[in-house]
Amino acid sequence: MALGKKKDDREVQTYMKTSPKTILLYVVIILFCIVVISPLVIVFSSSLRSPENQTSPLALFIEFTGVSYIRAFSNMNYPMQLINSIMTTVGSVLCIVVFATMAAYPIGRIKTKLARFLYFFFISGLIIPSQMVIVPIAQTLNRLGVPNTRFTPMIMFITCSLPFSVFLFSGFMKGLPVEIEESAYIDGASLPKRFTSIVFPLLQPAIISCVITQGLWIWNDYFYPMVFITKKAQYSLPVGMLQFLGDKENPAQWNVLFAACVLCALPLIIVFLALQKQFVNGIAAGAVKG
Amino acid sequence: MKKQVLFSLALAGAMTMSTAVTAMAYDHEAIENSGDITITMMVSGTAYENDFETEQLPALIKEKWPNVTLEVTKLPDDNYYTSLKTKLASGECPDLILTQPMYAGQNSCYALAEAGYLASLNDLDTVAGRQDLNSVTYDGDVVTSTSGVSILGTYYNKDLFAQAGIESEPQTWDEFLEDCQKLQDAGIQPIVMGDKDQYVLQFGLYQIAANEIYPKNPDFDVQLRSGETHFTDEGTWDKVLEMYKTLYDNKYIDASKSLGYGASQAITDFIDGKAAMTFDGSFNAAALTAEGAAGPFERGYFPIPGTEGVYTATCLSAGYSIYSGSEYIDQCKEILDYWQDGSSPVWQAHLGTGRIIATYGEGADTAPNYELFKPFIDLLNEGKGFYWCNQAWPAGTETEMEVLFSEMVGGQGTEVEDIVEGMQEKFEDLLED
Amino acid sequence: MQPKKKRKGNTSLIFTNKMYVFLIPALAMFLVFWIYPVLQLFYYSITNFNGINYDYEFVGLKNYAKVLSNGTLSNSLKNTMIYAVFTVVLSNVIGMAVAMALNTRIRFKGLFRTCAYFPALFSAIVVGFIWSYVYMPGAGMIGNLLTLIGLDGSAFNPLGNYKTALYAIAIVEIWKGFGTTMIIYLAGLQTVDESLLEAGRIDGCTEWQLIRKIKLPLISATVTINVILSVIAGLKAFDYSFIMTNGGPGKSTKTLMFQVYETAFTDMKMGRASAFSVMAFAFIIIITVLMLFYLNKREVEL
Repeated sequence: MALGKKKDDREVQTYMKTSPKTILLYVVIILFCIVVISPLVIVFSSSLRSPENQTSPLALFIEFTGVSYIRAFSNMNYPMQLINSIMTTVGSVLCIVVFATMAAYPIGRIKTKLARFLYFFFISGLIIPSQMVIVPIAQTLNRLGVPNTRFTPMIMFITCSLPFSVFLFSGFMKGLPVEIEESAYIDGASLPKRFTSIVFPLLQPAIISCVITQGLWIWNDYFYPMVFITKKAQYSLPVGMLQFLGDKENPAQWNVLFAACVLCALPLIIVFLALQKQFVNGIAAGAVKG
Repeated sequence: MKKQVLFSLALAGAMTMSTAVTAMAYDHEAIENSGDITITMMVSGTAYENDFETEQLPALIKEKWPNVTLEVTKLPDDNYYTSLKTKLASGECPDLILTQPMYAGQNSCYALAEAGYLASLNDLDTVAGRQDLNSVTYDGDVVTSTSGVSILGTYYNKDLFAQAGIESEPQTWDEFLEDCQKLQDAGIQPIVMGDKDQYVLQFGLYQIAANEIYPKNPDFDVQLRSGETHFTDEGTWDKVLEMYKTLYDNKYIDASKSLGYGASQAITDFIDGKAAMTFDGSFNAAALTAEGAAGPFERGYFPIPGTEGVYTATCLSAGYSIYSGSEYIDQCKEILDYWQDGSSPVWQAHLGTGRIIATYGEGADTAPNYELFKPFIDLLNEGKGFYWCNQAWPAGTETEMEVLFSEMVGGQGTEVEDIVEGMQEKFEDLLED
Repeated sequence: MQPKKKRKGNTSLIFTNKMYVFLIPALAMFLVFWIYPVLQLFYYSITNFNGINYDYEFVGLKNYAKVLSNGTLSNSLKNTMIYAVFTVVLSNVIGMAVAMALNTRIRFKGLFRTCAYFPALFSAIVVGFIWSYVYMPGAGMIGNLLTLIGLDGSAFNPLGNYKTALYAIAIVEIWKGFGTTMIIYLAGLQTVDESLLEAGRIDGCTEWQLIRKIKLPLISATVTINVILSVIAGLKAFDYSFIMTNGGPGKSTKTLMFQVYETAFTDMKMGRASAFSVMAFAFIIIITVLMLFYLNKREVEL
């Protein structure tokens, strides 16, 4: 909890003095960053080539053209898919936060075997990959009469996110002090009131962390939109990207795919750069309590 | 009409109602009598520039029938298969889907037809009278509308062949090996393959099988299913695998490299002039004829010659089927007939992509790369063309073959006899139930 | 957290059973859209369902017997274990080392953090493709570098080699995932009280002793969550076998989930794949629960 405060202290701190040891540290870190980033340079360099240029992607920056970007942009119908992606991601994440914090409340607070069982029950969902269960899921949706609309993938995103989110929130909740709630109880606050005005605000760091990790996953996931959306006008960006990937009989359009990938990651990169501090601290603060 | 139905029922016993009913012509005015309709279609592949399926086709259909909106989705094949299964399970399958002949792949038209998902296309105008549709006919019903053929062959770099002093395409297996040796002696990598994508092993092996197995016994695969023949039979698959292995033994294909190479990397090496040959399909012609680091050079395309004559792995390509649960079966039939009729703008546009090789219709011989493919089509017309082996096997048999073969050339101690035994075992296992 | 005697049932006045009402939306969704389909998968495991034809029959425990006898389980289990141990150890060690380096008072911390987190922003498909060029024999990125420093770059073929392919794809997983691990450690380290370290230094502890005796015990909760998350990710490994190697060369990179996928989709044996999944789930659950118990116990001890 002291985290927020500590951060402020750091604003005024001094940096380390230059000594051979610190220089070595910088060198190691910089080298490490180069190793980490260099494969991504390939993506960027290839995306600036024309789609037909099939020379090895390792010949970096041999051509500068926006053709691949234009192709990806128009073929994906970028503005439309961007809006779809934003709607799907924002909508799902909102529901996840509401449902998972609610579910974590009893699980994190009640100390009985039942609560402990429910905790493990949700966690068990973490370990089953969705590809395996997709056919039974489709049948279930069919039986319930849920048609394929833009909301169907959202249902699945929310469901699949519950194990992790409940795990995160209930873990975090266990570390929150109960005293405030106790006094609120004495003051006669109702359960919903206690949840919305005390618990939910206290969960904020974990919520940021949940929004970031789950948002990132939902933004990049193509699987559920691919199998559960029938209308092209409802596709999200990753599904649009898939069409450049190719198959055994049709080689991938790598340069266009890379351009599409940059276009798909661009909103994330912008958000990341703009909110970097909150982003990193958010993940950190939420996860550390788990 | 009723009498006729009863008659056929009595005659055929198990014949289904739908077969009897579809003996009538379908409603050729179905689209004209509908309001605004949206027809969905799902195929596998890559979206090219001015893509045929996702861009040209919907536009041309709209031009012909302004009240029809065709929505086409293109996915990479593994994703296509997963989507297809999921959409079938959720009862929301697109109206038109891409299916493969016989048992090939997970969109095999036989497997889908057996489960009752495909509408019969017997009453299509463009199907009537065609004799070449056996591999898309299930239980008396044509279930896939297809017109082109697909080829497996050997692309080669004519410049490099000339450099090594090779003057003509090899006509026998021994000549083929000699040519490889000449290339190697001239310091040229004879063949590049992207064996990291193990499916490319099929490109070479099926060509050899077309030479060594089917000419002697065209029913080899039918008999496999009935147990009369086996993969382990001497002089069949052991021979094919042994022949292909020779290429690795002599380093004509460098296993130490190829196992770490992807299919697209192999294509790049070929167009960059780093290797003289690669085994690939007609479907990859555009990529293989693109200009690479080696600049422009002339390509040739020949079938791997056999020990006793030249045959080719050329067969009917994948095509389009109508989902039996579709609301718009007759409308889809109108579209397919229009598409396949050999002179319509849709047909011409499809042909113009150079990704199908048509054996009939206007302008079939002016399609891009037609010169490359002509020798194969001639062989096919002479009755020397055979289907790709995996079309006759339950899906998964070829995977076992690929895995075991790459174990062998990767020096894991696997022998040819282990491969044929493994294939037989897997084949029987997959046929079970 | 509160000292409470073990008693059956909920005795808390404040946290009453009424609170379970809050669970309803999440539990309902989870049961209907996840647990029910999973149970259906269990049901398919005793049929010969092929994934498309719903006219299937019961075959009893035959699928289970087949999976156990045909060797696919033992091979994929072995691969998965190696993959999981390798990724868990390395991504945690690297993640922690980088976190500790970045937890010192250095400049450009934000920039370095961003670099480390960048790979996580890209989709696995693209990552897999790029790395196949990094690894490509001869002309690949690493191959070129090796040639540059005078080694034989063309002999470098990690994906084509039976012994190294599994580790090669595990490295890709680590590359993409260590940023998240690092950030979680960084957060843990920021909670470590500076005065404790100062006291340690005065007592003459070496840097290593400070890490071992003070930092590690204080961030043990962080270690638990990171290890569990990476164990689960490692055991579920699928993406890079699928995208980069297709399970090859041979069967050397077929993981549990890859094998399940192949059985279900390529071989069209949905029933058998279901039996396979059931056994894989059981296995993963056992491992995860054991690890949770062990790590929780350690946390308390430390």
